[in-house]
Amino acid sequence: MKFMARAVQQALNNILRNKTVNFLCLGIIAFTLLVPGIFNYISFNLDRYISKLSENIEAIFYLRDSGNSAEIEKMLQRIQGNLLVKEVGFTSKDRAQTKFTQEFPELQYILAEFNNSPFPASIDVKFRADARNVVQIESFIRDIEKNSIIESVQLNLDWARKITLIKKFASFAGLFLSAILLIVSIFIIFNVVKINIFYRRDEINILRLVGATDWYIKTPFLLEGLILGFLGGLLAGGLLLVIIKVFPVYAEFIFNIVKQLIDFRQLPLRIFWELVITGSAIGLFSSFISLRRFIKSTPG
Amino acid sequence: MIQFFHVYKQYFRSNEALSDINLSVERGEFIFLTGASGAGKSTLLKLIYKEEEPSKGQILIDSINSTLIPPGKLYKLRRQIGIVFQDFKLMMNRTVHENVAIPLLVRGEKKAAVEKKVNSTLALVGLSHRKRYLTSHISGGEQQRVAIARAVIGNPKILIADEPTGNLDTELSIEIIRILEKINASGITTIIATHDMNLINLFPKRIIKLDKGQLVLDKASEAI
Repeated sequence: MKFMARAVQQALNNILRNKTVNFLCLGIIAFTLLVPGIFNYISFNLDRYISKLSENIEAIFYLRDSGNSAEIEKMLQRIQGNLLVKEVGFTSKDRAQTKFTQEFPELQYILAEFNNSPFPASIDVKFRADARNVVQIESFIRDIEKNSIIESVQLNLDWARKITLIKKFASFAGLFLSAILLIVSIFIIFNVVKINIFYRRDEINILRLVGATDWYIKTPFLLEGLILGFLGGLLAGGLLLVIIKVFPVYAEFIFNIVKQLIDFRQLPLRIFWELVITGSAIGLFSSFISLRRFIKSTPG
Repeated sequence: MIQFFHVYKQYFRSNEALSDINLSVERGEFIFLTGASGAGKSTLLKLIYKEEEPSKGQILIDSINSTLIPPGKLYKLRRQIGIVFQDFKLMMNRTVHENVAIPLLVRGEKKAAVEKKVNSTLALVGLSHRKRYLTSHISGGEQQRVAIARAVIGNPKILIADEPTGNLDTELSIEIIRILEKINASGITTIIATHDMNLINLFPKRIIKLDKGQLVLDKASEAI
């Protein structure tokens, strides 16, 4: 405990001793974490939006007249058993005709021409709100469509496909940019710790010669990286929150549609902590590799 | 306490810093290690506290073969040896108290114990009045005494001083050797590297003389 308290104090002293370098480093870490944070946030909102729209995803499977009731019952059970499905309904040929009559009474005269209902029976499927994965829904529908009693499928999924595509692009671009910026971040912390080791090389040598253990010497440097990364993550989270609060004010005038699509106002705690944890991990990792390279355990 | 068996130290193929050194130092001895500049004094001392490795031969410190100590366990050896460096190696931006306390702090000793030991050690070297001074604000002689205090505060078995009087006038040099004598009287094996023969003649102690890396003399002071 005493050892850690000393190490933390030493790390904070190091940070304050080289204020310019460390604050510059902090700003760069915050920026490099902010970019993935923004992409993560956009991706999160698109996910939520897709999820919200998923409540309205409906598929209507029109059945062939040749299908018997046992086959239909079996199909209903199969659809009902799928986890993506929220609700299943069966509309018989007669029911379809009644619905048509109720919805379009002015067109009733057309039906008078037919002895039986001209409408096919159908199975109406509503999907769950958490069914975020449009691909899964499509795959399920394709699977059901193969059945011989299904004549055709009506599906309102085009918009979901488009949003999924945007989300994929956002995730990919975010991942690509994040990877580059995280490498930059690691490189910067690595060099800041290297500079601090260089500044304190005489002190490190003295500590070694008076019998300090390797961990006694290395821990403050490790903590220094950890603290810089942690603070960088906090700063990035704070900046992201500011952007989220400020941007919609402008977005309202410029991107009305975008504003409708995305709920800008909330920063999920998950994203905030992800930034802080990623920052801390990067800080710790960078100082670790810096220490491995520049502080040897060998004599002298 | 310290034994060298056929120890060689070669930095480059043609540069042999030490050649076939055999010597034995008993517990509690006081030794002057002498020789001209470049004779190998500092190298020999560095081999004792393992800042250098011998090219050949074996070194036993308190019956432990120091060449076999892994880097991770080196601190155990260093805690048994107090070192006074030629260039002091003090932290100039820290106080006298902070410098002297370092060996105890790295061992995790309690604050009260550290305070007590720092006070008594500073009294031993006559620096109690400079306790709160920045090390950069005291004289060279006082800095040397801070270095001695730091070397002995951890109660080492061996005290090594590399040219501890190199930058001091005769009067101060004598004072420093008297302090080291006092420390030696408490049972600490003391080895002092110096090329100052006048100083050596003032203190009748065992002398080990090196010349071009070879041990050329190992006798009591009056024999010179």
